[in-house]
Amino acid sequence: MTVTEPMIQVDSVSKWFGDLVAVSDVSFDVGPGVTALLGPNGAGKSTILRMLCGLTGPARGTVRVLGGDPRRDVGLTRHIGLVPQQEVTFETLTAMEFVRLAAVLHGLKNPDEAAIAALAVVEMDPADHRPTSTYSKGMRQRVKVAQAIVHRPDVIVLDEPLTGLDPRQRLHMISLFQALGAEGRCVIVSSHVLDEVERFGSRVLVMVQGRLAAEGDFHAIRELMDDRPHRIRVRSDRPRALATALLDAEAALAVRLEGIDTVLVDTDQVSRFRHSVAAAAQRSGAHLWEVAPLDDDLESVFRYLVGR
Amino acid sequence: MTKVRTPGAVMSLYRLMLTTQVTKARVIGLSALGLVSVFVGFAIGHAHLVDPVRQGTRFINGFGLSLLVPVATLVFASASLGDPNEDGTLVYLWLRPVARAKIVAAAALASFTVTWPIVTIPLVICAALTGGGRTLIVGTVAAVTVSMVAYVGVFVALGLRVKRALVWGLLYIFVWEGFVATGNNTAARLAVRTYARSVLSHITGETFRVTEIASPWTWLVPALVALGALAYATRRLSRQDVT
Repeated sequence: MTVTEPMIQVDSVSKWFGDLVAVSDVSFDVGPGVTALLGPNGAGKSTILRMLCGLTGPARGTVRVLGGDPRRDVGLTRHIGLVPQQEVTFETLTAMEFVRLAAVLHGLKNPDEAAIAALAVVEMDPADHRPTSTYSKGMRQRVKVAQAIVHRPDVIVLDEPLTGLDPRQRLHMISLFQALGAEGRCVIVSSHVLDEVERFGSRVLVMVQGRLAAEGDFHAIRELMDDRPHRIRVRSDRPRALATALLDAEAALAVRLEGIDTVLVDTDQVSRFRHSVAAAAQRSGAHLWEVAPLDDDLESVFRYLVGR
Repeated sequence: MTKVRTPGAVMSLYRLMLTTQVTKARVIGLSALGLVSVFVGFAIGHAHLVDPVRQGTRFINGFGLSLLVPVATLVFASASLGDPNEDGTLVYLWLRPVARAKIVAAAALASFTVTWPIVTIPLVICAALTGGGRTLIVGTVAAVTVSMVAYVGVFVALGLRVKRALVWGLLYIFVWEGFVATGNNTAARLAVRTYARSVLSHITGETFRVTEIASPWTWLVPALVALGALAYATRRLSRQDVT
């Protein structure tokens, strides 16, 4: 394989479960490095990731990983590591036994050594004799990452891998994913948290309602998200004068008075609005009590991307 | 893509499935059921019956082959792949370069390993206590083993195929084998119990007033049933969605 060939190719893939369309006509390529799969819960991220690992097949379209069909080629699993979303592990096994089992099943020559090394990477103690059933969510998550990388796969698929980790472990994991990507591995990480994805500093695929809503560099997508129309609530003692001042400053597309002290402002220039609102209040002799974005949650951002 | 050799994989899977199948609740519950047969065997042995072989054979058939063997095998075999399939741990076995047949074989072997002593030991003690002698003991071991081979295959596949395999398995045991198959020759040939009973009958010489299968089908059919069921489980494991 040449370096320029994508390691993952998803072509016109759809998947439905009964009447529910989980993934609809999605196409993308992924190469070496970290790629984030961003989207709200129920967007179809996990279904896509499961298809990449061959755990389920597409109803329509094709999925190729390293040139092979992950659904049919059992040997391909040697090159894939998965951190599944579900928390469960084999509860009677210790972390070492669990990761060693993965190493044995991958046919590694020295499974003990490989398991110890993988556990060290995620800062887990191989000598810990407690079964994984006694572990916290974060510890289980780290053990799951260890079993996914123990065989040093070319493609690493991580479904919400930062869930349950403390801030320090999050940073450690993000560094690990970046290091794996820098080694030339294809690391694909799903998340529904925008800030998490920002830290990956990577290419992003945005999925919403089973569709690929946007893809590209994170910063370009972030700008796209910031440039969308926003609705902001401004509370003041002189709302009418303030609304007029905001329109005069061309910081608002539209204003609407609500109640006795509230102005709802629609703007597609958030930064201009931020800079103008204090000056507008001063000019109109109004006191600002509250400036609050009403649609800055991720869901509304995603809805905007879908509707573009 | 080259085929990946997996030395030690089957043994590792086998050990894993032994540890996941053997829970305190299952072992204690099924051992208690086995203990019932020991008490009854003791009672038969001390009842000064004219024909203890006949009474012992009937009890082994009526309790051991009809209840203890299928239920115990169902509990362990249906859980071997059914539990990982339902709790989501199957992904840790599936996403490895291991032939699906090896995963299924490991599950079946582990189920047999766990179930055989839990069922056979109390039934052998029971057979001995009834005074049925060596013939009844040999017949019991053979019939238990033959039926367990078939049940393991069927219930491993069932665990993978359906949710709530325990309920479906109990329906099969009590409705099909315990009711439908007792009144119909054709249905009887589709019941594992018929073959086990025939093995017991051939060895002990005691006959039952229900369908009996001639040798060597008594031995061959259960083995073929197991092979067929395990082949189906392998195919199923290869093609099913893994959560």
